[in-house]
Amino acid sequence: MTQVGLVFFPAFDWAISPDHPERQERLLYTRDQIQEEGLFDHPSIHEYRPRLATDEEILRTHVVIPSLDQRITESHRIAAGGTIVAADLVVDGLVDRAFALLRPPGHHANRVVHGARGFCVLNNEAVMVDHLRARLGADLKVAIVDTDAHHADGTQDVFYNDPGVLHISLHQDGRTLYPGTGFTSERGGPGAYGQTVNIPLPPGTGDEGMLMVMERVVLPILREWKPDYIINAAGQDNHFSDPITNMSFSAQGYAQLTELLSPDIVVLEGGYSIESALPYINVGLLLALAGLDYSKVQEPIERKNREQGKSITEQVAKVCDEVMDLWQTRSQAHLGEVFGEADFFERRRQIYYDTDNIYESQQEFVRLCSSCAGWRVIYTSSTRNRDPVGVVLLPWKPCPVCTGEAREQYEELTKDERFRQVVWQDPASKFCRCDGTTKT
Amino acid sequence: MNHSYTIGIDVGGTNTDAALLCDAEVVALIKVPTDHQDLLSSTKEALQTILDHYKGAEPVKLHLSTTLSTNVIAEGRGAPTKVVAVPGPGVNLRSLSFPFSIIELEGYIDHRGREVSPLDMDQVLALRDVCDDGEALAVVGKFSQRNPIHEQQLARELAKWHSGVISLGHRLSGRANFPRRIVTTYLNASIAKHQGDFLKVWEDVQGTDISEIAILKADGGTMTLNDSRERAIESILSGPAASIMGVKALSQCPENNYLIVDIGGTTTDLAAVVDGEVLYERDGATIAGYKTLVPAVLTRSIGLGGDSKVTYEEGLGITIGPQRAGMPVCLGGKHLTPTDAAVALGLASIGEREAAIQGWNTWAETFGIRGEDLARQVLDTFTAQLARAVDDFYRELENMPLYTVHEVLNPPELRPRYIVGLGAPAGVYLPPLAAHLDLPCEVLPFSAGANAIGAAAARTTVGVTLQADTELGRVTIPEMGYQEELHRPLFFDIGKARELAEAKTREYASSLGYDATGEIYIVEEESFQMVRGFRTVGQTHMVRTQLRPEVRKVRGDIK
Repeated sequence: MTQVGLVFFPAFDWAISPDHPERQERLLYTRDQIQEEGLFDHPSIHEYRPRLATDEEILRTHVVIPSLDQRITESHRIAAGGTIVAADLVVDGLVDRAFALLRPPGHHANRVVHGARGFCVLNNEAVMVDHLRARLGADLKVAIVDTDAHHADGTQDVFYNDPGVLHISLHQDGRTLYPGTGFTSERGGPGAYGQTVNIPLPPGTGDEGMLMVMERVVLPILREWKPDYIINAAGQDNHFSDPITNMSFSAQGYAQLTELLSPDIVVLEGGYSIESALPYINVGLLLALAGLDYSKVQEPIERKNREQGKSITEQVAKVCDEVMDLWQTRSQAHLGEVFGEADFFERRRQIYYDTDNIYESQQEFVRLCSSCAGWRVIYTSSTRNRDPVGVVLLPWKPCPVCTGEAREQYEELTKDERFRQVVWQDPASKFCRCDGTTKT
Repeated sequence: MNHSYTIGIDVGGTNTDAALLCDAEVVALIKVPTDHQDLLSSTKEALQTILDHYKGAEPVKLHLSTTLSTNVIAEGRGAPTKVVAVPGPGVNLRSLSFPFSIIELEGYIDHRGREVSPLDMDQVLALRDVCDDGEALAVVGKFSQRNPIHEQQLARELAKWHSGVISLGHRLSGRANFPRRIVTTYLNASIAKHQGDFLKVWEDVQGTDISEIAILKADGGTMTLNDSRERAIESILSGPAASIMGVKALSQCPENNYLIVDIGGTTTDLAAVVDGEVLYERDGATIAGYKTLVPAVLTRSIGLGGDSKVTYEEGLGITIGPQRAGMPVCLGGKHLTPTDAAVALGLASIGEREAAIQGWNTWAETFGIRGEDLARQVLDTFTAQLARAVDDFYRELENMPLYTVHEVLNPPELRPRYIVGLGAPAGVYLPPLAAHLDLPCEVLPFSAGANAIGAAAARTTVGVTLQADTELGRVTIPEMGYQEELHRPLFFDIGKARELAEAKTREYASSLGYDATGEIYIVEEESFQMVRGFRTVGQTHMVRTQLRPEVRKVRGDIK
């Protein structure tokens, strides 16, 4: 019998604002349904308490400006900590799989954090993946399959240049939904080209389309890449009743997806149809994770006129072909053509934080290195923190040359008077200056 | 001056204990062997024996803690019972492998208590062909605690042709958990006839020497004979609860958080008091593998006691339990036990001390040490194992989930600051345990009869679960079968919900024949704003109340 660990944290006393979708009530009906179905004391489901993530655990992944305490609330720490608890349960062999059914969500949070975007401040999955590597070694291979209706732009940002992570996001086409990204052309940085896999789906895609994507794209890619752990960032807003998206999945579809993917760790992301979808999706998901019968799980309202049409099926098939073609040809791509032949690849971005209504300007330089993923430097400022901040990032498993160059860059920035704050982040080091120390 | 006399009887596996209390004094304490072939006769014998000590003229109340329903369930002697369930969509009931058959009907009540689809009346009528009049019926719907309409409709239809027992899920518990509600209702229906037969006997006793009879429940409270007819299932597992109530009645403990250790021959039972209240099972009691919704004192049993087997293994050293060794050597047994260690060291005087000393000496020779040292090592091992079990127990409690930021930041402090011990050998094993854990301790007076004193000192417990939904304009109290429209839903806030819950608890208590003047406290409450499309459409409130289950304080010496 498959044993499932459940870290349930509904944060019944926390909201972004009283009538915000991320409010106290969000997981109330899910709690009611799981309780009434008797799943909290099912012999193969075991509930565990979350805990607070430590500064070290968060700052291994994030650069929080100007400081952690000024940008996050305790609930963010608990959501990230609860996700770590779920992963540790699996790693320690206490359970076979784990589900971090908690809020607030995290997949729109980038590495650099000026505030909240898409209801997210800390990226729960990303913090957990880096925790796993800190525990088990930098050679660990982790696949994240994000099945939220919104593109997981934050998770993509964190792992864009990270060869240890395969990030697959299937979502409603960015031309029709926040955050407006997640196109097939976004394929990863020079250190991990091809390992960012975006699968944009047309509005109206239902169970049929989703299962086609699983069978034609996600599962073959996972079989080929052979991750040590599969993580499902399980947004539940592809449901036909979700108020802020336009997809057409059902609770049955989500359960089938879970069974097909058979993830090691599942983390809740979005999903705001709190009465008509979440209770049923979560019950189905738990049953599917535990290998139990979910055939009778069904939402109370019918999916009127929201069956996936023939033209949508054709569009989904086309996307599948395109993504598989890109995947199979990823190693043939000439990196020089994509990222240039210079020593650094430069990228400038404007990032909008919808939840906090701030704009961030970023300039990033990635060292093109043939021995490792390459060190990076990011210059960032925002409408909230106008003083530019310099961030020097080492990848996991840096080569000695990159380590030396990054070090020099950091020393240089600390002497540069334009930067009041300079951050050094080395995820593998316990002694990194990842606290965003402000210069005196 | 008027005195209040109460007799408590606790039917245990070996002995039936009885205590007579006069106000806060213990007047008499007796025990007779339990007759498993004829529980009734040994129970009546205990009653007669204790009544012999009674010289007063005032009426006497009797509190009975029996193993009747526990035994009927454990031995599978319940009446043939059919479960009629309205599961709606969700977990497939067939996959839960209940050890009884379930007839599933169409119909669907959702998590808010809205009727999504009604009962299929053709299916309901067809039940007549498959249910036998001699059978008991258990009627259970998913979310019936939020809206009992399907269970009530079924009860009305079934009563038209079924003359036997019909138990309804919503009347037994206001808590969520459909599988447990099914089990609870099934068991309640299956033991109703036994309970009825049992009650007939006691109704005859009532009115003679005894003015009033109450039945002890798994939560340590009592219920009337009449109430126990409808809710027989609540009388399971009252024995452990009686002991805990004995601790609450007799202990001088000055702390709000303490550990209760009940040390017996075969097992040691642990229970925890936090903030002055005994901790209850999160969902309900488990009996003979059945998980129920019956409110019950949380106890954990460890296979460690005075008669446990002592073994030595190369590399592992000495271990004690979990098997029982049988009689100790000092009483003519074959295997050395912790009791023999205590006897040999002069810490207890049971049977032949010389035999115990001889036993340790002989065994110790094989290790080339002194018998006395070996016996001491055995007692040290006992203490160490018990201390580990206590730590595991609190770790388990500390893993209880927390659902708010506030609780995670301020987790409830559960660890004990004091230990109360009971059971015959508590005097030997408790002081070293307390020293090991660095806590003060107390061995209960009347340690061996605390269960009967607890039964006598116990008071009525009654509580309700109020669920209000102001968007639907409805309030439900399942235990009372109460469901009403809210007149002014907009103004029905959590304060109003509390007031109504309190008034209804008193009304419910009076209707059951209880003294409803005591303090009512709120065990649990929840309140949420319901927002749809950025607009508040209502509130949902849940208030769970209880008439405070205070036990009577009893003095620690015999009058």
